[in-house]
Amino acid sequence: MKAIILATATTIVLLVVVTIAFRFHQTAQRARQMTLIYLGCIILSALTWFATSVDLGFLPGSLLIQPNWLDFSLMLFFFTAAFFGGALQLYNLADRGFSLHILIDVEGTDSHAVDADWLVANYGGGKGLTWMYGKRIEGLLETKLVDRKAETIELTSKGERTADLLLAVRRFLRLEPQS
Amino acid sequence: MTLDPILATLIVVAVWFLVFVYLHIVGLRSRQDNAQWLVRSYAACSAAMLVSVVALSMWHDSGQTLLLPILIAVLTSACLFVLYVPAVYTILTSLSVATLILLRRTGGRMPETSLYDRFATRGIIQQRLCVLVGAGYLAEDACGLSLTSRGRAFARAFAFIQRVWCLGPGG
Repeated sequence: MKAIILATATTIVLLVVVTIAFRFHQTAQRARQMTLIYLGCIILSALTWFATSVDLGFLPGSLLIQPNWLDFSLMLFFFTAAFFGGALQLYNLADRGFSLHILIDVEGTDSHAVDADWLVANYGGGKGLTWMYGKRIEGLLETKLVDRKAETIELTSKGERTADLLLAVRRFLRLEPQS
Repeated sequence: MTLDPILATLIVVAVWFLVFVYLHIVGLRSRQDNAQWLVRSYAACSAAMLVSVVALSMWHDSGQTLLLPILIAVLTSACLFVLYVPAVYTILTSLSVATLILLRRTGGRMPETSLYDRFATRGIIQQRLCVLVGAGYLAEDACGLSLTSRGRAFARAFAFIQRVWCLGPGG
């Protein structure tokens, strides 16, 4: 139970620190900023785990996870899942979720004539679909999966390997034509 | 040698999660509706996992320490689920992934304008609108599209997160 309590507490600390960082220390690389905060919180949680008693001073024996290394590992796992599957995903969705931003745009307009054409021009708070795709291309350029040469977009070797892996997975799932 | 009850619980959780992944993949390969299939197969495997954990606890100590294994099982399974689902949806729906795959299929390079012609189009929006209408987030009538109450709640919740985190208009 100590693992659950400490992982929950650290997740709350992480969300508070991320909120403060996003509001008062804005940067273009917010995912990186979040990951650094996560690493800081991991260290904090480990130190707290070692500094506190097994029962935290109030837990009954039936709620103690034994052996101790399992309790510690579970705490790290719960917190890591809360970050990569929770906080980071929440950020990704809020910042880039395509379908979600369609809903936010529809919610934010007074017009009743919302259709695909309106969304092409007004997607992303009025920036349009071209801006949205430009953001995707910039993301691929930043992660060095593609290169821009003149007016051509080209896969890098890292991009080729990634594309091959994704193609293999999609073929396995029968989402691509079988070759 | 007896296995620690929590360790045994984690093994049970892992086994049932693997069964869920297997079922989900089988569903995807046989063209089941992904979202529905995902939820149903996870719900079924979670129920089976809980029954197994309870049975294990009854066998181990007549259920005297049932609360902790159940809590650990539910949390661990939920953690595995939230790590699994985004990975699946990235492969299924991400425009960046679709761009990489298109580039690979066309010899590794394409004019930038061709990519925009392919991905920044009305067709892409139309495709997503159909999914959102099908999932009950949007409703379509003669005047156009409008949010359902479910869609409005979802949009407002994320618009709130955008404001709190000062993310600006995203997409």
